[in-house]
Amino acid sequence: MTQNLSINVHHLTRVEGHGNIVVDVKNGKIEKMQWQVPEAPRFFEAMVRGRHYTEVARITSRICGICSIGHTLASVKATENALGIQISPQTYKLRTLIKHAENFDSHVLHIYFLVAPDLFSAPSVFPLVPTHTEVVVRALRMKRLGHEWGSLLGGRTTHPNRVIPGGFAEYPTEAELRNLRQRLVDVQPDIDATIQTVLSVADKLPSFERPTEYMALSSDKEYSLYDGVIQTVMPDGTKQRWPVSQYKSCTNEYVVPQSTAKYTKNKMGSYMAGALARFNNNYAQLHPEAKKLAEALKFKPLCFNPYMNSVAQLVEIVHSVKDSIRLIDEVLGAGYKPEELAKPTKHGQGQGGVEVPRGILFHDYGYDKDLMCTGGNCIIPTNQNHANIQLDLEALVPKLLAADKDEKSIELGLEMLVRAYDPCISCSTHYLKVEFKR
Amino acid sequence: MRYIIGLGSYSQADDSIGLRIVEHIAQNGLERGFEAVSLADEGMRLLFYLNRGTEKILLVDAVDLGLPPGEYRLFKPEEVESRKELKRLTTHESDILAILRFAASLGHSIPPVTILGIQPADLGPGLELSPALQARFDTYLRVALEEVIKGG
Repeated sequence: MTQNLSINVHHLTRVEGHGNIVVDVKNGKIEKMQWQVPEAPRFFEAMVRGRHYTEVARITSRICGICSIGHTLASVKATENALGIQISPQTYKLRTLIKHAENFDSHVLHIYFLVAPDLFSAPSVFPLVPTHTEVVVRALRMKRLGHEWGSLLGGRTTHPNRVIPGGFAEYPTEAELRNLRQRLVDVQPDIDATIQTVLSVADKLPSFERPTEYMALSSDKEYSLYDGVIQTVMPDGTKQRWPVSQYKSCTNEYVVPQSTAKYTKNKMGSYMAGALARFNNNYAQLHPEAKKLAEALKFKPLCFNPYMNSVAQLVEIVHSVKDSIRLIDEVLGAGYKPEELAKPTKHGQGQGGVEVPRGILFHDYGYDKDLMCTGGNCIIPTNQNHANIQLDLEALVPKLLAADKDEKSIELGLEMLVRAYDPCISCSTHYLKVEFKR
Repeated sequence: MRYIIGLGSYSQADDSIGLRIVEHIAQNGLERGFEAVSLADEGMRLLFYLNRGTEKILLVDAVDLGLPPGEYRLFKPEEVESRKELKRLTTHESDILAILRFAASLGHSIPPVTILGIQPADLGPGLELSPALQARFDTYLRVALEEVIKGG
């Protein structure tokens, strides 16, 4: 057994934002083991106060660049619930379609750019360009589809401006939707190749398991991404549901000394959100083709291995493409046309929940009689995963020590664990710092 | 096609300058033979505008130029070296210079790229520009429009 170990991963790479992994082992005794989040608070809840309902989603979509579609959708849903705005069936389907775009886009990014380098023993995607050119080019081809798919529905993929309370500000043409449908059909060879790529390195995913509670939106009618109620599944398979309006009683935010981000818990010491949580909760509603892939991979619920979150994302890529083809067919078959925006009918408090790539997301706003926001609350999925990551580390490190792994292998295993959650810790400032050549 | 592309974070004061410029252009119908695009903080999406048909790209962003707040420079990527402390390519904290190198390594067609870099005064949380940048907004807008239209 490894007796002494000192791991200090400062600002873990290939995650969004800043997080540290600190492990100290002396004479076989674990003295410190922490997943630290040192990000500064960003005060979005304060920024929306005093803003008109038509402005709020434009502000809160800026919480994230990767999940800005999901933040926009959660925001408009919360606003619509607070103001009694009833959207049409067409709007529901188009919003689900843009939700699929975000999931597809983000999952491609995570699998190829953030996880694959570990599986190909590369520090980043850069060194893979000469050795795995076709894989990198394919990844970018798929990423481009996700980008243009989201842009078509949202006006732009990052911080979409067509999705507004009551419906859509602008609509794609019927021809554009038909073109998107064809592109979703045509992407199949790239999906097949992605599956083969993942299969070729699947044995490098660690086999660690830790039963926990899994939380996701759920619905009897579909694999919930855009809408549903809160559901958790416990390690023994029992499930329980709550309305989204009760999100606070399920998330129970609390603070811990090592993190500036809040932690959450429900019935156990932690719960997991994200693709694996959705897979474990809602497997039955997956598209048959997505289920076929899961079966081929011998991947079935309940799966307690957090590293399999990336495989659940792959299954969801298939689901999102196939379900989007269905949605386009239904929208076009039902007399597709631009619609008037639905209007507010009341004011008060309202909540919105959607599944973003990293898990369940809640927005909650109050509005006064002038339809001005009186306050907001946003609980993002990565915060909901921090406690689960911490408990995973506490379970994993003793196993790695007992297996007599060297420090480098242990460090990689811990980094891969955190990356598997695809954490989006913050959208930190990205600006350039340059020096002119002399 | 020509593009003027804004990068930055809207909720971090002056880091939003590039986004505000392109949004102002789009909202006021100032696109004339070019397209205004907001990529926010996902710089990797720049790859999707490096197409054979792209005539030129102007990127507008907050840049630490070592100048007083509010000052600006137009420069080409090849004129500078990144001093950003990023060891690897990430998706959020994107180093645009690294992304251009990445694109070149994949054989992307790299059109002429110019960067309008603006020295920020404040990168803390906030939905407003600092007074130093707000006071010169019209200047940045004029410079950006002249640059993207030039040679057309």
